[in-house]
Amino acid sequence: MNRRVFLKSGSIAMASLGMSLSAPSFLERVVMGREANAAGGRRKVLIAIFQRGAVDGLNMVVPFGESNYYNARPSIAIPKPASGNAESAIDFDGFFGLHPAMRSFKPLWDSKQLAIIHASGSPDNSRSHFDAQDYMESATPGVKSTADGWLNRYLQAKKDPQGSSFRAVSMTRTMPRVLMGRSPSIAMANLNEFSIRAGKASANVQSGFEEIYAKQNKDVLAKTGRETFDAVNYLKQADPAKYKPENGAEYPNGPFGNSLRQIAQLIKANVGLEIAFTDMGQWDTHVNQGNSRGQLANLLSQFSVGIAALYQDLGQRMDDVVILTMSEFGRTVKENGNRGTDHGHANAMFVMGNSVSGGKVYGRWPGLKDDQLFEGRDLALTTDFRDIFAEIAMRHLGAGDLKSVFPGYPISATRFKGFLI
Amino acid sequence: MQRFFRKTAVLSLIAAILGTQSIVSFSTTPRLTEEQRIVHVLNRLGFGPRPGDVERIRSIGLEKYINQQLAPEKIADTMAENKTQELSALKLSTAELYEKYPQPAQLIRRLQDRGMLPKDLAEAQEGQKNPRENPGYRKLIQNYYKENGLEQPQRIIAELQASRILRAVYSERQLQEVMVDFWTNHFNIFFGKGAERWLLPAYDRDTIRPHAMGKFSDLLQATAQSPAMLFYLDNFQSVSTNADRGRAQEMMMNPPQQRPRRGINENYARELMELHTLGVDGGYTQKDVTEVARCFTGWTIFRPRGGAAAVNALRGEEARTRRTPARPAGTFFFNMRAHDDGEKVVLGHKIPASGGFNDGLKVLDILARHPSTAKFIATKLVRHFVSDNPPTALVNRVAAAFTKSDGNIRETLKAIFFSNEFYSAESYRAKVKRPFELVTSAIRVLGADTNGGPGTHRWIERMGEPLYGFQTPNGYSDAAESWVNTGGLLERMNFGVALAGNRVQGTKVDLAQVVKQNSDKNRMVDESLRMILAGEVSAATRESLIKKMDPADPIAKVVGLILGTPEFQRQ
Repeated sequence: MNRRVFLKSGSIAMASLGMSLSAPSFLERVVMGREANAAGGRRKVLIAIFQRGAVDGLNMVVPFGESNYYNARPSIAIPKPASGNAESAIDFDGFFGLHPAMRSFKPLWDSKQLAIIHASGSPDNSRSHFDAQDYMESATPGVKSTADGWLNRYLQAKKDPQGSSFRAVSMTRTMPRVLMGRSPSIAMANLNEFSIRAGKASANVQSGFEEIYAKQNKDVLAKTGRETFDAVNYLKQADPAKYKPENGAEYPNGPFGNSLRQIAQLIKANVGLEIAFTDMGQWDTHVNQGNSRGQLANLLSQFSVGIAALYQDLGQRMDDVVILTMSEFGRTVKENGNRGTDHGHANAMFVMGNSVSGGKVYGRWPGLKDDQLFEGRDLALTTDFRDIFAEIAMRHLGAGDLKSVFPGYPISATRFKGFLI
Repeated sequence: MQRFFRKTAVLSLIAAILGTQSIVSFSTTPRLTEEQRIVHVLNRLGFGPRPGDVERIRSIGLEKYINQQLAPEKIADTMAENKTQELSALKLSTAELYEKYPQPAQLIRRLQDRGMLPKDLAEAQEGQKNPRENPGYRKLIQNYYKENGLEQPQRIIAELQASRILRAVYSERQLQEVMVDFWTNHFNIFFGKGAERWLLPAYDRDTIRPHAMGKFSDLLQATAQSPAMLFYLDNFQSVSTNADRGRAQEMMMNPPQQRPRRGINENYARELMELHTLGVDGGYTQKDVTEVARCFTGWTIFRPRGGAAAVNALRGEEARTRRTPARPAGTFFFNMRAHDDGEKVVLGHKIPASGGFNDGLKVLDILARHPSTAKFIATKLVRHFVSDNPPTALVNRVAAAFTKSDGNIRETLKAIFFSNEFYSAESYRAKVKRPFELVTSAIRVLGADTNGGPGTHRWIERMGEPLYGFQTPNGYSDAAESWVNTGGLLERMNFGVALAGNRVQGTKVDLAQVVKQNSDKNRMVDESLRMILAGEVSAATRESLIKKMDPADPIAKVVGLILGTPEFQRQ
């Protein structure tokens, strides 16, 4: 490819981010890579979303066909689907239904772009948020000494010849465990703030810092510093405020909606994004969880409206994008003394995208009768989360060898659920 | 006082200028020099040196200084007291805070009762729309606050954050402030949860501070009984399934939708063992968690959300004539009627039936003296004071000191501060400063003047660690690998530039008092480095600074760049 071709495609990439033409070297590599890859397939993207605090999966994807569900939850259960009752569960298949606050997911279910894996999660029985989040992000349940996150190990295992600085981006203020590790990743709360701000002297001061950090070696700060300036140099001319979502997508106000909007912006800018991550908190509903309305309903509404907007905004690009949601563990089948739920075991995960075989609840359902519960109290686990992660890494992202990504857990495609075509 | 500091600053500057030729890089010396040991102690037992501090400690003697710091009650602290004098919310009891800083939601209900706001607002609030976002209503609510001498509740946390910044910058009891920071993070509480903003001033003032350098068992019991912790980890709502239901509810005085029903809540019991004492591998089971939760049933808060106190603010005069309750709102009490008084077994110890309030005390006693606790606390202290990778031998000695002294925090700290590991070259300037440490140490090193207000705190927040802003009970990590990231690093550099350029709201820096403008850029860089980092930077950093300086550049540029160097991020 010659220089002129690059300039042409580069300007397309940058126009979509709303910036003038001045591409750093890594972008040049990305754009060239994209052109070169045109015959062999386009870059695939995974957007991973963590519901921190343990969402109540039994009220999110409701097993309304289980009578014990209603016995265990006298004040917080979601009513069985009933036409004309907007407070009742949205029927999926006569047994499972969706929380009514998540109605914006219904069209995706109907068009078979939304799959659910119920009774899934970590086989470890820890009910500690920190341990369980740690295990889900390191993907080594029961082993605390694992230094890196599984998405970072994926990045290490599948080298990116284009070396984009934006290959892995977390829209969070701090780097999540799942992306920690040797492969460079970026964490930022907001695209707007991502620059050196010194008034008229900004460029001058920035070049000072760049010089200082470029000369450091073998140091966590120096490495982070260099990655920072790679990214700053590309983003500093961007004007995220001018970004207009497409297809009538409307993101909810608040940090979660903002994160999703900026992920869409980075994807459309063709900066080489492959792994995007963000999270949403406050799911730890020990007290006054609510039922069809209330605390959990408000969270689920914000969550689903945001993701549906992202889906809509990305439009045809969802051919190459998979959205995956996860939460560290489920919650007790029985409601507690405070109209809430305590820490439980298995949970439900969503997988979305145009390449997903959706409209189906995957995974064996273990039942909610007393003798079917894990440790006599929680939803039992029938799908290890690593089998879900591995199916996405292999069938969507195109990873070859997963041995190093999931150490101590031999991956076998026979355990894949088959939610990816 | 101010003049004294200026004078010593000038003296040390002269010393610095004379000394520039003979700066020795620490990396070539296997052992720390006396000056390095002093700098190290100022960084780790405090929030970094102010101008003149190194000389001051040299004349006191390092060992004597450390021993002084270990006895903070004997150190006069006028400056910090004066600086925090105007933070009036922090002097009020929780009940008074409920009265003077009422929740807008309660105010809205009151205004509705008076017909000043439409009734259907409550409906709007149930959904996602917040009436406070309506400009018309907002004005009305603001006026009500003003006319009735009330304050907005978010001011409480702003003042609490300011007090922490001011004490870190100005207090002579530096180690005490470091320990307050350490324990506040160890027994972490998130201000955004429910009633926490009204409960946290008492938590800082009455729970953490009095015990920060005392006995661990006292500190543990104080946190267990603190309304802030009881609220944060839900124990105040944990009610025995055997409890007398009607009476238990009656005692709670909550609106019906918040009224607790029977049922225990395990949240506190689990975090008490996992995060406060034994550590996650400390040898407890799910059964122990349930048993501990049973022991703590009935440990609750009287009127946790203020009850009548909060309503008093809205009723004005008429309320003051009402009779006062048996105990103030927002204080600890043991509710026997909510307590499970059966037998329990905790970590193999039998706790006989009918123990009442003593059940919880026994649990705390077992936990405070458990060997896993000694190990866990020792590891965390060594990680905080010495290295992100705590040396095992030192951890063992510190744990032994903890056990031998029955959890005496001063004795435990001594085992660290007088160890060889503490003064090792590997530990010197090795730890990355957490955002709170970076901001306060930068203000100190420049001898800047700050009001500690939101203009300062906002930077700590941008770097990722707002005070009292960590949601989950594990607190901020003390190991850099887990939180150093691009966004945070960028904000560190931006903070340095903003501080040196006098663009941090509420903080004033007079660089002319610290470093003189000099047309010789080498000297300007060296003097600044000497002042801020005792001259200890890599040759590469020094060269880069000189290369990037123009003789016409203001001194603020070089100072801003130095505050943003990798070297200043460390302590």
